[in-house]
Amino acid sequence: MNFDPMAAARLLDACSAGIVLVGILIAGTRSIGRAIWLVGAQAILLAVAAFGVGVATNSPHLLIGSLLTFAVRGIAVPLILGRILRRSPVRVERNPYLNPRLSLIVAIVIVFAAAITMDNAALGGPLDAPRALPASVAEVLTGLLIAMTRRKSLSIVVGLLVFENGLALAAFSLTYGMPLVVELGAAFDLLMVIVVVGVYARRMLTVFGSLSTDELRRLRG
Amino acid sequence: MNEVAVAILLLAPVLGGLAVWRMIGRRAEITAEISLGVTTVAALGLASAALTGGRLVAFADLISLDALGAYILALTATVACLAMAASPRYVRHELTAGAFRQHDEGRFYALFLWFVASLVVVPIVDNLGLLWVAIEATTMVSALLVGITRTPEAIEAAWKYLILGTIGVGFALLGTLLAYASSVHVLGDSSDAMNWTRLMSIAPTLNPNLLRISFVFALAGYGTKIGLVPFHTWLPDAHSQAPSPVSALLSGVSITAALYALIRFHLVAAAGLGPGFSSTLLIAFGLLSLAVALPFLVRQEDVKRLLAYSSIEHMGLLTLGIGFGGPLALLGVILHLGLHAVTKATLFLSAGELVQQYGSRRLSRIRGTLASAPVAGGAFGAGIVLLGGLPPSGIFATEFAIVVGGALAGYVVAAAIAAVLLALSFVALAVHGSRLLWGRTAPGISVVHVGRGMALRLAAPLFAVAILGLWTPGPLADALNSIRAVLAVHGG
Repeated sequence: MNFDPMAAARLLDACSAGIVLVGILIAGTRSIGRAIWLVGAQAILLAVAAFGVGVATNSPHLLIGSLLTFAVRGIAVPLILGRILRRSPVRVERNPYLNPRLSLIVAIVIVFAAAITMDNAALGGPLDAPRALPASVAEVLTGLLIAMTRRKSLSIVVGLLVFENGLALAAFSLTYGMPLVVELGAAFDLLMVIVVVGVYARRMLTVFGSLSTDELRRLRG
Repeated sequence: MNEVAVAILLLAPVLGGLAVWRMIGRRAEITAEISLGVTTVAALGLASAALTGGRLVAFADLISLDALGAYILALTATVACLAMAASPRYVRHELTAGAFRQHDEGRFYALFLWFVASLVVVPIVDNLGLLWVAIEATTMVSALLVGITRTPEAIEAAWKYLILGTIGVGFALLGTLLAYASSVHVLGDSSDAMNWTRLMSIAPTLNPNLLRISFVFALAGYGTKIGLVPFHTWLPDAHSQAPSPVSALLSGVSITAALYALIRFHLVAAAGLGPGFSSTLLIAFGLLSLAVALPFLVRQEDVKRLLAYSSIEHMGLLTLGIGFGGPLALLGVILHLGLHAVTKATLFLSAGELVQQYGSRRLSRIRGTLASAPVAGGAFGAGIVLLGGLPPSGIFATEFAIVVGGALAGYVVAAAIAAVLLALSFVALAVHGSRLLWGRTAPGISVVHVGRGMALRLAAPLFAVAILGLWTPGPLADALNSIRAVLAVHGG
């Protein structure tokens, strides 16, 4: 395939913009189901970007990493989370600490702040894609915002995944992507996170009857 | 040869865990013990080879074991054996009490072995990315162990551990990526650019700005797993709610493994930037952890949380000592790392015994243990005295070395503050300990007699800690010196 670095950089930039947009949508939704498939869509954009960078820089480990991202973050994780959600009686974020409309605005502010402060922060990555690094920082922060302001355990996990997507984007924009063994290990770890989340979500449903973290405030001091 | 030993080290607990998953009773215990025994032999073999013969390399550039890694590896295996030795008695009690269901027995041993498997990966890998993968894996496996009893409190502790651990370690990944990025202009897209040995060798040419941010993120990330204040909030919950043998592993080796990861970043940062930047941060966070842990030790009502806050305190002290640098402080740090791991693990095991006997974790309930539980109570009391650093404990010698070494290295004020905080926390522990030993036992607590085997298992490690305060065997002194050589910072 003939794919020059300029085009790959533009693809990376375009995907970064898409990832940021999806992140804002996730921050602004009350429906946990929609948040789950949006975070999957975000991962698929990530996989597309990684594929482009992999082809342009001719690095097979990035191509494999891209396929892994697609299969694990884009498909498997949303499917597993969707299955957990179907067991839960409540599937919307009823009264999060921060109203979704307000977190949507905060997410937009985060994006602009990241874009302004990290303008032209070319840190020696392989491609000249100036939007990728600010986008990854914005996603890391948006993920933290979602994880800290939601009450339902699955929404918190969605925040965690947005955070991790931001980290993965940082990996592409700062470096040539991680070596293949690390990529494999990270995918394995992410699957483990989701399995453990599934185990505890089931236990919360049995013990507390809901996936709300309101029950989790017994331990103090 | 090295390849075979590494393969055995990793495969024995992984396969043993698969085998033991569905087993119950004596079969499960024996399978787990054999599998851990095989791992231990491989770990000690590799560690002694690396300590006597210099750095070991295996599987191309994946595995690299130097003196520091060898020490952590040997320590992990030792503490895992102590915890495993106490597990059958613990598990049987939980099964009788109904806290464990029948199938939890096999799962407990399987997860225990996988926890050990993920822990032994940490000190042997060369690649900082794989180091991160291993630390993240320890969180996942141990989160399953923390909540194995399914009580509301255990689920809460496990959930907090899972979420905060993942976010924290996520920052460590960012730190790892930035360390990698700091080398891209020198190494380009090479597969060993994430190896710490490679980064150390080209440290002066690394991008200093990226290296600085990298260390800050690694400190926040691995600091979460270590339990450094203010990233520690999950630790007292998880370490107190876990089954006691797992608490022993968490407080003995899991946080030590995370500290090892942070040390690697400190060494790369110090080699690239000079020691000033990372040392200052380590000293600040170390002192903060010492100071914040103190009030929680004083006002503590839960015996296992008392031990957990003491872990935060000791990790703060170790972080402080690494920041101090200097030959004396580093020698103290190295020995303290091991003595704390062994003492704390034994304390958690004896506390577990007391909690089961009294049916409560509350310090106001667990009183007069010398009369009603002489072995576990006595071990707990002796452990507190040793941990507090009363001579002849080895911990007296190591704390003395860290504080005096810090003053000698020029950090007089920080060393003085640390000395005061250590003394105060000893008083807090001693007050709790004396009530626990001699206070009046609540009615209805029956005297429990434990076998000689259990007594020996609790007494032997404490005896070793006491002896090391008086006398260091020759080979150990050599080993300590070669580990110190790894930790010594040459940079600028």
